[in-house]
Amino acid sequence: MSNNSIITEPATLGQILEQVAHKYKRKEAILFGGRTITYGELDKNANRVANGLRKLGIEPGDRVAMMLPNIPEFIYTFYGIQKLGATAVPFNAMYKGREIVHIMNNSGARAIVALANFINLINEIRDEMPALEHVIMAGERTLVFVSPESTVNVQFVVDKSSFGDGDAAFRTVGEMLEQTFHDLGATDAWYKHRGSIRAKGRKLATVLVSEIENLYIVNTVSFLGPLKTEDFFRVIWVTPEVKDKVVEPMTSVEELIGRRPSLEEFRDAFVRRLEERFGSSVEPGDLKRDELFGYEKTRALAYRK
Amino acid sequence: MGLFGFGKKTTGGPAAGPGGPADSEGAAGLGAPAGSAGAAGPHPGWRLIYNPKGDAADILANATGLTEGRIAGKYMLSKERLPDTVVIQGVIRKGIIAGADLNVDQEAAQREKIDVARQPRSGRSGIQSVGTVSLADLITKSSDSFHAQPVDLDQPAVLLYTSGTTGKPKGVMLTHNNFYAQCSQVVPSVFDMKPEDRVVMVLPLFHVYALSNGLVASIYNGCSMALVSHYSPTNLLSAIADQGATLLIAIPTMYQHLLQSARIRKQSIPRTLRACISGGAPLAVATIKEFEELFDTRINEGYGLTETSSAVSLNPSGEGYKEGSIGPPANGVEMAIMDDEGNLLGNNQEGEIVIRGGVVTKGYWNNPEATEESIYGGWFHSGDLGHRDDDGYYFITDRKKDLIIRGGFNISPREVEEAIATNPKVQEAAVVAVRDKREREAVKAFVVLKEPGSITTSELSEFCTANLAPYKVPKLFEIVEALPKNASGKVLRRELRGEATDDRLIEKEDHEQ
Repeated sequence: MSNNSIITEPATLGQILEQVAHKYKRKEAILFGGRTITYGELDKNANRVANGLRKLGIEPGDRVAMMLPNIPEFIYTFYGIQKLGATAVPFNAMYKGREIVHIMNNSGARAIVALANFINLINEIRDEMPALEHVIMAGERTLVFVSPESTVNVQFVVDKSSFGDGDAAFRTVGEMLEQTFHDLGATDAWYKHRGSIRAKGRKLATVLVSEIENLYIVNTVSFLGPLKTEDFFRVIWVTPEVKDKVVEPMTSVEELIGRRPSLEEFRDAFVRRLEERFGSSVEPGDLKRDELFGYEKTRALAYRK
Repeated sequence: MGLFGFGKKTTGGPAAGPGGPADSEGAAGLGAPAGSAGAAGPHPGWRLIYNPKGDAADILANATGLTEGRIAGKYMLSKERLPDTVVIQGVIRKGIIAGADLNVDQEAAQREKIDVARQPRSGRSGIQSVGTVSLADLITKSSDSFHAQPVDLDQPAVLLYTSGTTGKPKGVMLTHNNFYAQCSQVVPSVFDMKPEDRVVMVLPLFHVYALSNGLVASIYNGCSMALVSHYSPTNLLSAIADQGATLLIAIPTMYQHLLQSARIRKQSIPRTLRACISGGAPLAVATIKEFEELFDTRINEGYGLTETSSAVSLNPSGEGYKEGSIGPPANGVEMAIMDDEGNLLGNNQEGEIVIRGGVVTKGYWNNPEATEESIYGGWFHSGDLGHRDDDGYYFITDRKKDLIIRGGFNISPREVEEAIATNPKVQEAAVVAVRDKREREAVKAFVVLKEPGSITTSELSEFCTANLAPYKVPKLFEIVEALPKNASGKVLRRELRGEATDDRLIEKEDHEQ
């Protein structure tokens, strides 16, 4: 029935895209969120992914896992993997820890391309996936909720030499927070690998460690009181799998000890642990003028529509 | 709001004492400058910025502003100063910190009094989560020329994990040849795709149906693909209308939803769809007829499995349609009915549907036992029971295995049972499929507790939600004293399945989408 004559003999998925893109370079391939991506552009992006994966050491026959919703990056990544001759392992973005661990270990995937929102989840189970070497984050889709009744944010920047490596950075901060919660009476709090403080299976705080040049940037959000998320979802609009990860079961100090500690109590407890850990004092201070410029600029950027 | 005078707000902090004016160089309480980079050792002292009345942008500004200033260089931040700062902030209003790619409804944000702060794009040399690589970075820094590697066509292009009866998901190997057979033989015989077609991609691409019949087939034929990353009937309807979609690949629930929305707004029903495929579960004749009329289109019902790289047969719309059938095999596919002894049966005899052809998988990754259980005697054993009529149309009547299928996703009762049993309060659990009001399969769990009353059904539900993908989480829990078992101790699922249809299901499911 079909009069298709682009593909005339058996070919790999990568070769098929190449041939179609050659014939329909300027034709629309992907329509997404008001954007149009032509076959020529799609092919080039797949090539970039293939080259990028090769630079990371991925070879033909290697498995590369994918945890992505229906966004253009899914298609670039899928065909990039195909062009490289590797094997794509796309799996359900709704999967939880143990399900992901099983698929990653069974397939022996050396890399995973995942939506940025899933980084906390992957970090937490990373030490259970020994074959995984590269975590590749797609999209600028991080999502954090803060509220006066419930959250407190702690951030600091340290020279990388203050910690052994990224793992140690996570662990040090995780343990400091864990002890802070114990000091506040939440003795059930415990630090789970790379990213979360949990109590009774629920999330009590999140730790994110980023890096730039010679610095680690530590950013944490802790729940002192219950966080009600319904309001936020009237404003922000995310796919169900993302929502599912954002609203994973949470708890708070208030729910654990029956009382919400004040910000000052939390601050003082954390500062004591910080001083203890680093053997140095913490003194109140201000941002310098030059720092204020950087701060102000970012603040203005953050509020752009 | 005094944005920058954090130090001044500090009361009762360790070593209180007012910080200097915000714009003074060198605030109070500075420790000695940090040692040169690379020298580990005792930390020289921290400067605390305490901001109890912050907002979402403050949280972002501290994390990224300080470091951005650091790299931008022109702000002349001293390398020594930055690593000494700890920031502790509360907020005074609700706030969302959103990544650059997230959609935010600004009007709703104002109405709900929620601050929205945008994370800047990390860009080329921006901040990166420890131990990760940014895809955008990988893409921008790599060359755009590459020649597809000429790998063996019999090598797996994809592993798709699907649940069987035996617990953990198995990786179905789909080779380049499998996809080629699907695109060059099966698809053209049932669903003509042309370069001028616009295909709506609303089903998740990690599922075989959308991956194979949607993405791979569209690219094979040079079609345009409209991606819908978030399903709602309204989204789908407007994607069809806005893009002038000509082909739709969806599941029965979506056709029912579209029909409900279309009934309400008759004048704006898009009539561009040339053809549709429905798969995953049977679609009611009445729905097909009404949908075809309102949307001026045709719905063909496909049947296929992950192991057959999606479609193997199609019940065509129009004259060739037979109610309740999955249709005759597509081009390049052989289907037959087999009994338990491996004999092929004639027309109108009940047995297992078996399949062979270029679309059938080589087997399960790293799992020869499961492969041998499914592929033997040259046939792939589908696990579906049924018969073939005198016209060569196949009909499914039952399922051989204890598998639950919901929205086209396989659910292993064993896997769900094992997940429930990891709760320390649970003795054992049995999971079966029940029918909801719309005759769809729903997961029901029967749970035996170690101590009666130690956990509620809603706590069990939450426990499952934390450990399983949402579609696997039982919709119903029943706490029982014991499970019905046979003499050898095997749980008799059939007895549990005898449970009546449950009406409460409807309400919960309507919120699912």
